[in-house]
Amino acid sequence: MNRLLASGLALALSGGALQAQTLTAVLNADIRSTNPGVNRDGNTDAVQMHMIEGLVGYAEDGSVGPLLAEKVEISPDGKTYTFRLRKGVKFHNGATMTSADALWSWTRYTDPKTDWRCLSDFDGRNGLKVVSATAPDADTFVMEINEPNGLFLDSLARADCGGTAVIHKDSVKADGSWDKPIGTGPFMLGEWKRGQSVQLLAFDQYVSPKGDKRDGYIGSKRPLVKEARFLVIPDAATVKAGLLSGSLDLALMPESDVPDLKNAANVALAIAPNPVRHSLIIQTRDPLLKNQALRQAIAAAIDFPELVANVSNGLGKPNNSPVYTTSKYYGDAEKQGFKYDPAAAKALLQKAGYKGEKITILANKRSSVPSFNTAVIAQAMMQAAGINAEIEVLEWATQLDRYNKGNYQVQAFSYSSRFDPALGFEQISGPKDKQPRKVWEDPEALELIQKSMVVTDTAERQKIFDALHKRFIEQVPSIFTHNDLDIIAHSKRLTGVTPWASQLRLWEVGVAK
Amino acid sequence: MFRFALTRIAMALPTLLIVAVSVFVLIRLIPGDPAQLMLGDLATPASLADLRARLGLDQSLPVQFGIWIGNVLTGDFGRSISSQEAVLPLIMQRFWVSAQIVLVAVLMASLVAVPAGVIAAWKQDSSLDLGLVATATLLLSIPTFWLGLLLLLFFGLKLEWLPVVGYVSIADNPWAGVLYLVMPIMTLFLHEIGVILRMARASTLEVLRLDYITHARAKGLGEAAVLWRHAFKNAFGPTWTLIGLVLGNLLGGIAVVETVFTIPGLGRLLVDAIFARDYPVIQGCMLFVAFTYVLVNLVIDLCYPIFDPRVTAE
Repeated sequence: MNRLLASGLALALSGGALQAQTLTAVLNADIRSTNPGVNRDGNTDAVQMHMIEGLVGYAEDGSVGPLLAEKVEISPDGKTYTFRLRKGVKFHNGATMTSADALWSWTRYTDPKTDWRCLSDFDGRNGLKVVSATAPDADTFVMEINEPNGLFLDSLARADCGGTAVIHKDSVKADGSWDKPIGTGPFMLGEWKRGQSVQLLAFDQYVSPKGDKRDGYIGSKRPLVKEARFLVIPDAATVKAGLLSGSLDLALMPESDVPDLKNAANVALAIAPNPVRHSLIIQTRDPLLKNQALRQAIAAAIDFPELVANVSNGLGKPNNSPVYTTSKYYGDAEKQGFKYDPAAAKALLQKAGYKGEKITILANKRSSVPSFNTAVIAQAMMQAAGINAEIEVLEWATQLDRYNKGNYQVQAFSYSSRFDPALGFEQISGPKDKQPRKVWEDPEALELIQKSMVVTDTAERQKIFDALHKRFIEQVPSIFTHNDLDIIAHSKRLTGVTPWASQLRLWEVGVAK
Repeated sequence: MFRFALTRIAMALPTLLIVAVSVFVLIRLIPGDPAQLMLGDLATPASLADLRARLGLDQSLPVQFGIWIGNVLTGDFGRSISSQEAVLPLIMQRFWVSAQIVLVAVLMASLVAVPAGVIAAWKQDSSLDLGLVATATLLLSIPTFWLGLLLLLFFGLKLEWLPVVGYVSIADNPWAGVLYLVMPIMTLFLHEIGVILRMARASTLEVLRLDYITHARAKGLGEAAVLWRHAFKNAFGPTWTLIGLVLGNLLGGIAVVETVFTIPGLGRLLVDAIFARDYPVIQGCMLFVAFTYVLVNLVIDLCYPIFDPRVTAE
């Protein structure tokens, strides 16, 4: 019986589910499309970034570096960007990439019919406008913008914008509709079985950017296996079983599974913080919480090392700053967070005139975020300080709706990655009259954020972020607790697995013989 | 019989219309917006407005309903908001995957549970009866996700007999496809045994107490003849109805089993669509499920005369 089933399994594996020397990674949900920056989510970006590349890309410290470009020259007035392209880069169909392809791709992105989600970030609606894009010669692509902007390259590199990838014109059908990505990435699209799996095939003519090691989306990006497959498995228990059985090679796992996986004979763990920020956001226009002393009391009532240790299984570290810990701008100033001081919390409550009014914390139970656990522990700590905190558990879509409408008092909420701190601050700040989802509307802070978006000098930007951080901690418009952790559980037969930005990167990952 | 079938289907039309209207209204009453979910915390008022307009969500609800129901009547169930796939082919593709599991599991469960239920009734209060009832109750009480995980851990991880994750279509590779379906089928099979066995036992017990059974025994018929020729035929009716209900119910959603075993079936499609507020997929799935339910029960009713000649399809 065993033999029969074993041979059956072998046949099954040869039938396409699992093969030796094939990397099998896990997605918790299927990708939305293969069309860069159009219909996407985090999983979609993660898979697409194996197939496509833009002129520039993010490095692991959140800075932007050349990807398809060899180098980027910025004119003295800060308005003209000249991209010198790398030579000999091939598309998946064998064609050589030139500036004409960069221009064609840009023209397609800026055509409203493409539905590129980032168009409003480049056509002037959000300030920045690309005035012209030209290809003076085969290896040079030039973009001119309306005014100096410190975030222009960041915007081009954004994964949710599809990295503004340069794709071959055969990626679209004759009628202009999307067909499949013919990019320059280390992997080509194999077969996408919707709801089941995405197969990627190594691109044997791939020309890697310079660098002897992988660095975010740049650096060395060689495909080291012939085939990689992303399997869609929504259930974490099933993923764990698959990893333990050896059917799966790598997956992002929740903190709660670390104790079990740590002791597994065939599984290794790679853990690192990422730019996702977990927080307790506060509605500063709430009749009760508009009182700054009360918000300060809440911050003083929370023992962050204790809270973070509990919600992250002892793996995370507190970070009260909107600047994430692995950013190059995370310095000594950013390390100064809230101080746990129950006595101070009680004094602040008295100063605020707090009389035991109910404060509701909204939370959800998605397994990918510590929303509920954060709410439970924060509630207990707030209650210990004399704050009448209650929890209301919502389904994610409902909570997001309340977030967007600003309809809450406190929410245990997680902000998605922003590599540049200016974007990280912008994500939470703005006038609530226009955008009720924003949490911080201090005019001076908004002015500083605006300035940080224009300034390009690193030292000057650091000063701005330090000042913003200080104001943030003083005013407590929200309470950031810690940065998320990427926990990749992978087979010990794999080499080169490193976590970054909540995405599984399969380039430079090999299988030990 | 044909007229009866047509009449029944015609009678189902108002039901389907009520389902269509209720699903359309109810899903929109739940807070949450597909455009917001697609954009997440990256949404700006401009991008949100753009996306809502593109998805047709900026139009009034009656207009949206009118467009949708008009298209449905022409066989166009619309396109998924999340994946942009056409909804009806998507549903059919996923339904086929679920149907393979459900049909086999229910057939197997019926073949085991019905005779077991009849025997349990025949041997009422014996240790065999107690054992069968206890087993049925146990199987019925274990949640399917837990049962599935136990099977997965035992047959997949410990014994390494069956693949733990993934799915291969039977059309692509029949042998591999079967292997991937074994555990989901086993999970449902074991669970449904409990449901069907209890009904088969209860209805057989009821029939065994009737006078004509006493008469059959009095005229000297053997127990086997009494049981299968006289008692079973009359006792099977309620169980057959229950099998129809179970089948209709399962065909509409085995999301839990599909999630545990990574099966891309209809239940998972529906649950994912609800979380994503993918209105066209939710509406399409619910309408399809309701139609399937009606159809399965119609087939069950049409089969009644086979077991009970007193019932006709006229």
